[in-house]
Amino acid sequence: MPQRLEITLKPELFDAEGEALRRKAAAYFGLALDSVRTVHILTVDADLNPEQLERIRTEVFTNPVTQVSAFTPLAEPFDWVVWVGYRPGVKDNPGATAVEAIEDCLDVRLKPHEAVYTSRRYCVSAAGLARADLERIANQLLANDIIQQWRVFSRQEWDPGVGIGIIIPKVILDHTPTVAVLPIDSDDQLRRISDARGLALNPNDIPTIRAYFRNPEVMAARRAVGLGDPTDIELEYISQARSDHCNHNTFRGLFRYLDLETGQAETVDNLFKTCIEAPTLALKEKKDWVVSVLWDNAGVGRLDADHYYTITGETHNSPSNMEAYGGAITGIVGVYRDPLGTGLGSRLIMGAYGFCVGPYDYDGDLKPRLHPRRLLDGVIEGVRDGGNKSGVPTPFGQVLFHPGYLGKCLVFVTALGVMPAVVAGVPSEHKTTSPGDLVIMCGGRVGKDGIHGVTASSEVFSEHTPAGHVQIGDPYTQKKMHDFLLEARDAGLIRFVTDNGGGGLSSSVGESARFANGALIDLEKVPLKYAGLDQWEIWVSESQERMTVAVAPQDAERFLALSRQHAVESTVIGRYTDTGRLQIRYAGKTCADVDLSLLESGFPQWTFEAHWQSPALRGLAEPVIGEPADYDGLLLAMLGRPNICAKNWIARQYDHEVQGTSVLKPLVGAGRDVPGDAAVLRPVLGTPAGLAFAQALLPHYAAIDAYHMVACTMDEAVRRLIAVGGDPHHIGGVDNFCWPSIQYEPQTNPDGRFKAAQLVRACWALRDVCLAYAIPLLSGKDSMYVDGHLPGRFGERHKVSALPTLQFSAVSAIDDLTRCTTLEVKAPGDGVYVLGETADELGGSEYYDLFGDVGSQVPQTAPERFWPLYLALARAIAQGWVASAHGVYRGGLGVHLALVAMAGRLGMEIDLGRVPGTEGMRADKILFSESAGRFIVTVDPACQGRFETLFQGMPCTRVGTVSADPNLVVRHGDRALTRLPVTRLLEAWKRPFGHL
Amino acid sequence: MTPMTPIDALVLTGYGLNCDHETAHTLNLAGARAHRVHINALIDGSVTLERFQILVFGGGFSWGDDHGAGVVQAVRMKNRIGDQILSFVDRGNLVLGICNGFQVLVNLGLLPGLDGDYTARCVALTDNDCGSFRNDWVHLKVELDSPCIFTRGLSRIELPIRHGEGKLVASREILQRLQAGGQVVLRYADAQGRRAGGAFPANPNGSLDDIAGICDPTGRIFGLMPHPEGYHHWTHHPDWPRIKDQCRRSGTPLPEGATPGLEIFRSAVAYLQAA
Repeated sequence: MPQRLEITLKPELFDAEGEALRRKAAAYFGLALDSVRTVHILTVDADLNPEQLERIRTEVFTNPVTQVSAFTPLAEPFDWVVWVGYRPGVKDNPGATAVEAIEDCLDVRLKPHEAVYTSRRYCVSAAGLARADLERIANQLLANDIIQQWRVFSRQEWDPGVGIGIIIPKVILDHTPTVAVLPIDSDDQLRRISDARGLALNPNDIPTIRAYFRNPEVMAARRAVGLGDPTDIELEYISQARSDHCNHNTFRGLFRYLDLETGQAETVDNLFKTCIEAPTLALKEKKDWVVSVLWDNAGVGRLDADHYYTITGETHNSPSNMEAYGGAITGIVGVYRDPLGTGLGSRLIMGAYGFCVGPYDYDGDLKPRLHPRRLLDGVIEGVRDGGNKSGVPTPFGQVLFHPGYLGKCLVFVTALGVMPAVVAGVPSEHKTTSPGDLVIMCGGRVGKDGIHGVTASSEVFSEHTPAGHVQIGDPYTQKKMHDFLLEARDAGLIRFVTDNGGGGLSSSVGESARFANGALIDLEKVPLKYAGLDQWEIWVSESQERMTVAVAPQDAERFLALSRQHAVESTVIGRYTDTGRLQIRYAGKTCADVDLSLLESGFPQWTFEAHWQSPALRGLAEPVIGEPADYDGLLLAMLGRPNICAKNWIARQYDHEVQGTSVLKPLVGAGRDVPGDAAVLRPVLGTPAGLAFAQALLPHYAAIDAYHMVACTMDEAVRRLIAVGGDPHHIGGVDNFCWPSIQYEPQTNPDGRFKAAQLVRACWALRDVCLAYAIPLLSGKDSMYVDGHLPGRFGERHKVSALPTLQFSAVSAIDDLTRCTTLEVKAPGDGVYVLGETADELGGSEYYDLFGDVGSQVPQTAPERFWPLYLALARAIAQGWVASAHGVYRGGLGVHLALVAMAGRLGMEIDLGRVPGTEGMRADKILFSESAGRFIVTVDPACQGRFETLFQGMPCTRVGTVSADPNLVVRHGDRALTRLPVTRLLEAWKRPFGHL
Repeated sequence: MTPMTPIDALVLTGYGLNCDHETAHTLNLAGARAHRVHINALIDGSVTLERFQILVFGGGFSWGDDHGAGVVQAVRMKNRIGDQILSFVDRGNLVLGICNGFQVLVNLGLLPGLDGDYTARCVALTDNDCGSFRNDWVHLKVELDSPCIFTRGLSRIELPIRHGEGKLVASREILQRLQAGGQVVLRYADAQGRRAGGAFPANPNGSLDDIAGICDPTGRIFGLMPHPEGYHHWTHHPDWPRIKDQCRRSGTPLPEGATPGLEIFRSAVAYLQAA
């Protein structure tokens, strides 16, 4: 009989969780709660006797010092109770560890149908609140209805003997697994099947798929194994393999580009090949540090003679938009499987994040599923728990607010790993499968998780329907698998490893089978979370924390024994073959048999019309703004802008020092509170070398021209590396594109052709800057449908498209980490220099945005002019002539001079009249122009001679002096503009999120 | 000169523990021979504690920290190899618990070990008052009257903290006994070395009496929330670029010697070598 254990803190102890809820209810909704006490509930659905129950209560689940507990409802005082628990099938990580703990404590094994479910009830004391207020707290702070259920009880409704009752969110499918055969007698019929099943087949692919199944040779071969018309599992497999996500059909498409202003027409065949692959391969020839690119789960570069690093970046936008915490934790934990599945496997060494959400205080008419504030809270916590519990430092990240992300938020997650250059005597970057190798699935079990959302959400919810399309990552299970796989790797037991992410087994087995040229899978061997999954569901399920590994038969026993020692489930599910076919059986009966060559041949290229309208053609012009008088107020206002101000509460929640590799942390300076230009780490302890890592996001510029958006974003990422001491000759890039839909459709996407042209121009910029700065693209991904349809005031729906967005990640190797420097000014008397020219480039700037303007003069890059300056700065830093270095980014010189002064807790006296390139420019434009290619550098007088000689002939001017007087004093020639104490700058910059 | 006795240290791994690499590295720097060993290798007997002199319960998220940090690990180890651990302690060896490992030690009862009872749970480490995980650097005052082997020769140090459950809670009586017995080893302090007095962020978690680390009455078992292995190199310190800049200006050499974090491990090795 199920039992419900309630656990809470002793009454005299402070309840931090309850207090956090109390504060949030006040801050977000103005609701005054007197107190909140949290009761943790374990519903134990297992056959345990009273002695056993008492034992787990006292030995495991109750801390004798801090907690009280009972198998009856605890008598906590309250006015209202809000109970929150998971829906069936949602990953309950604490429930799973509770089972482990019970088994360990009692030395028993729970039966397959037994489980533990965790939930919470919040005892709220609040006079004068109504049920609606509690419902609001429940569904807007505590629970998300796609993964959770909740109940609200008033004191009158509460039965102290019954409490919340016994609620068991158990999945009961009551379904016999069945393979469906789907006749496809016409293209139309296949299209209908695609629509009905949510296969999302491209209409152009349909004839090719049908032609395959009607090919007489194929038909004969299929008859021989008992197959006729395609089965559901086969169509699902083809759909997954052909999806834009797996196949990058958009980037490999044919673009008919037309410049509507000049009439210039150009056909661009395959953006991936021309703008990503070609430059990267050309650079690989010149850069001996590039080890492996463009084919594996992550790119591989050389760290030192004995070690490689691996790097990749992903997005997890749609799931995070639905369920912020679950989407984000699944995203970060998921991207960590990519380096783990690169080469023979690499150890994770760092993660990074980028969150793009709607305005924090949005109070307009549109109704996003989750308010941006709540969404941001959720994604911050998801990446925090996913990263921290993985034991991987998260030393870099950015947050950006813009109304375009109300439709769909962006969650960028980036991962780096490290592996020895040689593993068990073989090069670590190579991996392959061979006929006869066993196919082994490691890690978590398979449920209805992540099976295309459309199918899942069209099901009617019942009490026991799994809410499987939104997942919650499980870093604990994955960390065990990570440690196990690395040990297996070092023992030479792994021949091939890849992750199960998008497409699940369909994708991991499908792709790994290409090396051996075939695979035979016995699907009934795949361990399931619960019975009743159809075969196709097992095949495409995206249940997390799983890797697919190829192991030679003679190594299997050792591999499985090691897996057991690490408490990781590993199962042989088939073997690789050389039949040229992917064959799947279930209980001995063939249910899929597809030629691997089908997916490499004959599918038509996607085509796009791309019409470019120049900014002038779109009527963009510079705003007419007179010069401000109150520069003090202006600078303070700029520092408090949401996209400029301090967001330190995030970095402090993220473990950025685990592994002992930290060299430059996310927050630097005398007060350790200003974000550094880049993170620097020493992945291999005891060695002098390391990596610098930085990212940039500048989507605002895409409102003018996506070409310059991309070029400036890349330039910023590069400057971030240079500023900390990165090697300009070793810069690897990762491009993560997030774009609104680009397929023109007059009703639903009337500006699709323009968005397509923006993508073409963005890729051109990517190619141009990669070649100019010699940046091979070690990895990259695209997410192409960043649009949302939001309800408005009158029940109408509005399509909201994100700005075309590129997140660019850059990594550099550093031979001697002690050469690194930071941004804060270090000593009074040092000269302040501005490097690079400042031009009248405020289009898309934070300054114009302050006034609601966009403008037209977007910052432009000139790599051929910038590069010699970057080389010189890198040399000056390496020589130790630089006391501090910082790039000038969003917000321009005004913001970034303030940041370097704040970081050093020292003053500066600056003359804007000396800033290079600004003759005749107005002071506000000098202060807030966002021209690319610039740095602020401070130099000890003893080094200034050598420093200035090095920069002779380049735009590098001393603009002022660091002062012991802690004021930022800015003048323009003879005219005084501002004089602000550093403490006031800090106050203005920290105020917006200072309460968090 | 006769070679020193080799000191073998065991660093636990597995089940979500995660500071094993840098802890082992720091032990090696301190002159020990570190071995990373899976918890299950101790349980299945493929490795035994007999050949080791230092046992380190390191940082991490054992079992996801889902039911109180360190609780499930303590249950598993107590039930399976509790006797082995107690006899390891009886043999005069050293035990160090860092962060999650400290949480395990108090749940095992190895700490505080009052009256020679190494199984009683009378101290807890619970949720930070700030309500969230926190990574920062703290100033620590080393209590000079403590018998703790690990902190000999140290008085004020800085170390990183990285935890969500570091608030030390115990009854007033237990706290008084810890104080009286010199079992309070480390207290959170301000930059001048004065006790934090509960003030955030100097005291990052609301720990009672600002306690950051305690030892058993013998001083051979030591648990602390800060991470000494996280400060084994001078470039771990947040101020190192500023220190480097000052060294360059004054023509003084870089502070490349032992860090306070490393000293904690060195003291352990030195004690065992002298024993």
